[in-house]
Amino acid sequence: MIGRMIVANVLHRPVRTIVSVLAVAIEVGMVLLVVGMTTGMLTEAAKRVGGVGADIMVQPPGASFFLGVTAAPMPVKIADLIDGLPHVSQVAPVLLQFNTSGGLNLIYGIDMKSFNKVSGGFVYYAGGPVQHTWDILVDNWYARANNVKVGQTLNLLNHNFHVCGIVQHGKGARLFIRLSTAQEMTGALGRASIFFVKCTDPGYTDNVLAAIRKLLPRYQVLSVREYMSMMTSNNLPALTDFVTTMIAIAVGIGFLVIFLSMYTTITERTREIGILKSLGASKFYVIHAILEEAGLMAVVGIGVGCAGTFLLRTLIVTYFPTLTVQLTISWGLRAAGLALVGSLIGAFYPALRAASLDPVDALAYE
Amino acid sequence: MEPLIVTENLKKVYRTGKVETPALRGVNLQVQQGEFVAIVGPSGCGKSTLLHLLGGLASPTSGKILVDGNDFSRMSDAERTRFRRHKIGFVFQRYNLLPTLTARQNIVLAQHIQGNGFNPHRFQMVAEMLRIADRLDFRPNALSGGEQQRVAIARAVICEPNILLADEPTGNLDTENSQTVLAMMRTLNRSLQQTLLMITHNLEAAAAADRIIRMRDGQIIED
Ligand SMILES: Nc1ncnc2c1ncn2[C@@H]1O[C@H](COP(=O)(O)OP(=O)(O)OP(=O)(O)O)[C@@H](O)[C@H]1O
Ligand SMILES: [Mg+2]
Repeated sequence: MIGRMIVANVLHRPVRTIVSVLAVAIEVGMVLLVVGMTTGMLTEAAKRVGGVGADIMVQPPGASFFLGVTAAPMPVKIADLIDGLPHVSQVAPVLLQFNTSGGLNLIYGIDMKSFNKVSGGFVYYAGGPVQHTWDILVDNWYARANNVKVGQTLNLLNHNFHVCGIVQHGKGARLFIRLSTAQEMTGALGRASIFFVKCTDPGYTDNVLAAIRKLLPRYQVLSVREYMSMMTSNNLPALTDFVTTMIAIAVGIGFLVIFLSMYTTITERTREIGILKSLGASKFYVIHAILEEAGLMAVVGIGVGCAGTFLLRTLIVTYFPTLTVQLTISWGLRAAGLALVGSLIGAFYPALRAASLDPVDALAYE
Repeated sequence: MEPLIVTENLKKVYRTGKVETPALRGVNLQVQQGEFVAIVGPSGCGKSTLLHLLGGLASPTSGKILVDGNDFSRMSDAERTRFRRHKIGFVFQRYNLLPTLTARQNIVLAQHIQGNGFNPHRFQMVAEMLRIADRLDFRPNALSGGEQQRVAIARAVICEPNILLADEPTGNLDTENSQTVLAMMRTLNRSLQQTLLMITHNLEAAAAADRIIRMRDGQIIED
């Protein structure tokens, strides 16, 4: 019976209901998309780093492993030291650059020969390797997303690059230029941000790791396997702060809208609450009815939010093929739980207020 | 026989800021089981206040109320609510039906709040007695005033309350509808021995009762 009363109430004010439902839907969608896009981006990035084919990554002291952002690159000469260690088959120095215009793009400055040895070589869909100073390789995803063809000019970092080839995606970055070009552009002559180290056999990874750490005690030395598991876990403080903030904002939106919605509802229905009380409805009954109403709107909102997120993901992935949105059941449940609990907490104060209304005053309310 | 309702020196003072309004100034009243009592008196003499106290919707400033042996002054708010749920039915001048529910749902809601579940026998009996059986699936705004008030009475008596308290039930009705409603109140009283207290301004309406209580300035002046 409470159910029928609630449905009647919810239908009685369709605009209020739609706004409340949408707020919860936006809340759920925001949580799912923020989490989905960050984890998607992370796993993508991790997968690509894994795709380089190295066993070990070496970065200068103080570098963050997240996307390899680094302050001062290290001398490439160190690569020779590492190369001299037992069981090391190849070291590929890479200088990272970020292009921020038109989306964030990571560019690898590579030495073709060593990078090919570590990675096993690019698969070319068109064109060929970088040879000249302003040559650039793009991967097929980037090419598709930006409609890039071999031979065309690509303006990145205020330079016109000549697209010399399109390669299969999955080897660290989506864009590759010559190491020397990257060094010149950043004024980091003879330096690199990362060394990708390949062992003669993956079985020697731990030995080589220990040897490099001994050789370069202050450097960040990590096996690629470790790195990949780190990238998918919650070890990235800056990123989790961002995600947490976004989730808090989303939950705040849902909470406030439901609060306001239920608050105006009980004001509007003061007399009806008086009627319920004259019929002998207990405080619990009134609280229950109002929480259930908020809960109903939240559940519908969660449904709409999940459906909307799937739709949005389809659109995003279609129109921005370089983006990945990872939706998991576990985060779906978490988002739903947050939305439901947030809504109930939002409705709780109005419910309490309604329950403690004086019945005689409430009945006299116009 | 023990009276169903007893009040002793019942007083109620409303306070709004620093202003005190004595609404009841010592009411002594006894009502027997099965009586039909009309309460009349000028506006503002405290009739509604008395009814609210008897139904446990408000608590007195001083004095005693015993309903069916229960001393309201010793009961908590929650206990009075529970008592009202099971023993008291209210009918108001303004019908006070829930506008979003149909007539049937309004009546079922009362049963739901009472918690004894749906009793189809009682429901049918009440609906037929109040002649609303064919209006049950309409919302209040599709019913005439007389029909709404009959639905409200049905809702009030569906759970077989010991006492039916009616505050000017015919106040918003035309003569014809008033007479129907009064006739039904009398039927309830006669055939089901429903104890009934009814406030009215209308002397004709009061004549339907067994007993007329006159109030003035918060006191009973004639019984
Ligand atoms: N909530 C309140 N706060 C302050 N004063 C009130 C309140 N309710 C009633 N009163 C006052 O108490 C007195 C009795 O009011 P009550 O409503 O019981 O009168 P009544 O006999 O039912 O009048 P009417 O016939 O107009 O309905 C009046 O003077 C009224 O102004
Ligand atoms: Mg009155």
